[in-house]
Amino acid sequence: MIETFHIESLAHVSPAWPVIIAGLIAAIIAHNPVRKALALLAPILALLLWFNPTTTGTFGLIEFGGFTLETFRYDNLSRIWSLVFIIAAFINGLYGLHEKDRLADVMGLIYSGAGLGAVFAGDLLTLFFFWELTAISSVFLIWGSRNNASYKAGLRYLGIHILSGVLLLAGAVIRASETGSWAFDGSLSIDTIGGFLIFIAFGIKCAFPFLHNWLQDAYPKATITGAVVLSAFTTKLAVYALARGYAGTEILIYIGAVMTAFPVFFAVVENDLRKVLSYSLNNQLGFMVVGIGVGTELALNGAAAHAFVHIIYKALLFMSMGAVLHRVGTVKGSELGGLFKSMPATTFFCLIGAASISAFPLFSGFVAKALTLAAVAQEHHTLVWLVLVFASAGVLEHSGIKIPYFAFFAHDKGLRVREAPVNMLMAMGLAALLCVYLGINYGVLYELVPYPEAALYYEPYTFDHIVGQMQLLLAAMFAFTVLVRFKLYPDEKRSVNVDFDWIYRRFLDGAARWAWQMIDRLNAAVGNVVSSAQSRMGVKAFEIFSPGGQLSRDIPSGVLAIWTSALLAVVLLIAYLAP
Amino acid sequence: MSDDHKKNDELIHPVARPFLWLDAKWLKSSMIWIFGILTVAFVAADIFHPRHEYVPLAELTGFYAWWGFGAFVLAVMIGWIGVRGVLGREENYWDEEGDND
Repeated sequence: MIETFHIESLAHVSPAWPVIIAGLIAAIIAHNPVRKALALLAPILALLLWFNPTTTGTFGLIEFGGFTLETFRYDNLSRIWSLVFIIAAFINGLYGLHEKDRLADVMGLIYSGAGLGAVFAGDLLTLFFFWELTAISSVFLIWGSRNNASYKAGLRYLGIHILSGVLLLAGAVIRASETGSWAFDGSLSIDTIGGFLIFIAFGIKCAFPFLHNWLQDAYPKATITGAVVLSAFTTKLAVYALARGYAGTEILIYIGAVMTAFPVFFAVVENDLRKVLSYSLNNQLGFMVVGIGVGTELALNGAAAHAFVHIIYKALLFMSMGAVLHRVGTVKGSELGGLFKSMPATTFFCLIGAASISAFPLFSGFVAKALTLAAVAQEHHTLVWLVLVFASAGVLEHSGIKIPYFAFFAHDKGLRVREAPVNMLMAMGLAALLCVYLGINYGVLYELVPYPEAALYYEPYTFDHIVGQMQLLLAAMFAFTVLVRFKLYPDEKRSVNVDFDWIYRRFLDGAARWAWQMIDRLNAAVGNVVSSAQSRMGVKAFEIFSPGGQLSRDIPSGVLAIWTSALLAVVLLIAYLAP
Repeated sequence: MSDDHKKNDELIHPVARPFLWLDAKWLKSSMIWIFGILTVAFVAADIFHPRHEYVPLAELTGFYAWWGFGAFVLAVMIGWIGVRGVLGREENYWDEEGDND
């Protein structure tokens, strides 16, 4: 296969470039079908370039300002991530075919290409360049909704991601000044200042606890296609960066465990189903972060395999909710129900996504998540393992049951809309096919992971694993039916739940407004004092220097003579007494 | 089913018509039994074929079923009481800054 596609002259060309260049070309093309063709063609070209290298290594070196930028590091870790990024870019292009928005086309391509570029980056400067490019290009997918809420959420998103980039650059510069190295590899450590800043930069993009709210704030406000595109790249790029730089960093195990658990509680009572998926995304990232923290070959395989299948099934779920939003105009759970009667194909695809993320046997989540859980158990992190099993039941709750149940079943609201557009169905169908294909032919996935030889020793379809997983899932579904029967399951309600973003959207915002008002008042008070003093001084000066002032009065010559004599006497006295 | 729904029934997608039983009351009321019996069946499998796990606790009969049931209920209760009860706000909470979720 590799030999078939090998083109020597393109051996050093990163697959990121055709996607980015296609985005730049799309910017000057007014003809919508041509832009759409580019959106589909660019990922195919990227895929050909992905197959092109005959060996692993670092290619595409660019000399710039005394630095050597490594734009194409092709190894086992970048291979799997870049492949799924390319697949996601193609699915996104297909899903957005019906849209006529030049800015979305352009930025979608540049964002996808930047994600690919970051994955292939061999040094921190190249990573920084693509890191920031993902931030700047992706914000337009949020602003694309063209309303005040998305505008403000986009600003918050941009601010937080630019901060992430600044921390990355600061950390890289500090590290380079200490070690002379710009290498983006496993030599990064949180024990140094530079390494710690880079870690936080990755953590922001990875939506670590307390740094996570940009995700739930921005993604639900993005455009229909934008949310699908966003769900694939930013956070998984951060997971890749952690896997590349901080594999085996123990604190990641605990950070990841918290990430798997807390979003579950928010997702349970969230009314906006795209926001539920955003919390769900956060929860899934936790599994990957735990795997990276454990750091064994099996665990890293688990993180990579999980990222691969997650991008596909999460995109599928976002696509299904996007189709609902496109047809119904809302994804509020309180306003949906019974849509399977109008959108049967979308329902079917959503159910496949739900089964995959819930890790039902024969679906992709089952074969991927199992690697991480096995690795955690093997390393005797029992408490963390229990949290992950808890979170697995939580995943079933919010993504396996809540999303399809409240959108497509539950109480029929009498909504009779048209099925999703054909291109949306094709994109969902392709993603659904991959979910099933990878779940059954898991060997394909296991050959792609960073340590395929370690994965070959793992067999996901054992009696113990299937029975254990089915117990977990069926008991959780039984719990759902029990809670519904006894009216102990919360209704979908028109409400919002404040999260940690309250700190900066309300508290800090309020504090800043208060401080601004205080400064304003202080300024006014100081201004009053100054102007009062100026006024008094003006009056005084007028009294002294004006034509009618004291200095302009006629002074009797006798008085002047007396003053002059007195001054002369003082001078003489000083001269006499001086040594 | 309300009159409005009946009026809309002619608009049901042809592909969905063979699956309208999914909305039947008998199915909704039977789900608790279906899942209950299936859960018991898979727990029973443990009795006849004990599982081997890296975590000894997981080798208890029906461990995943107990854990799954408990985790689901706990997640829902914490979400309902803890999150909605404490952190829940009116839908227009963020309106003041013009970006209601």
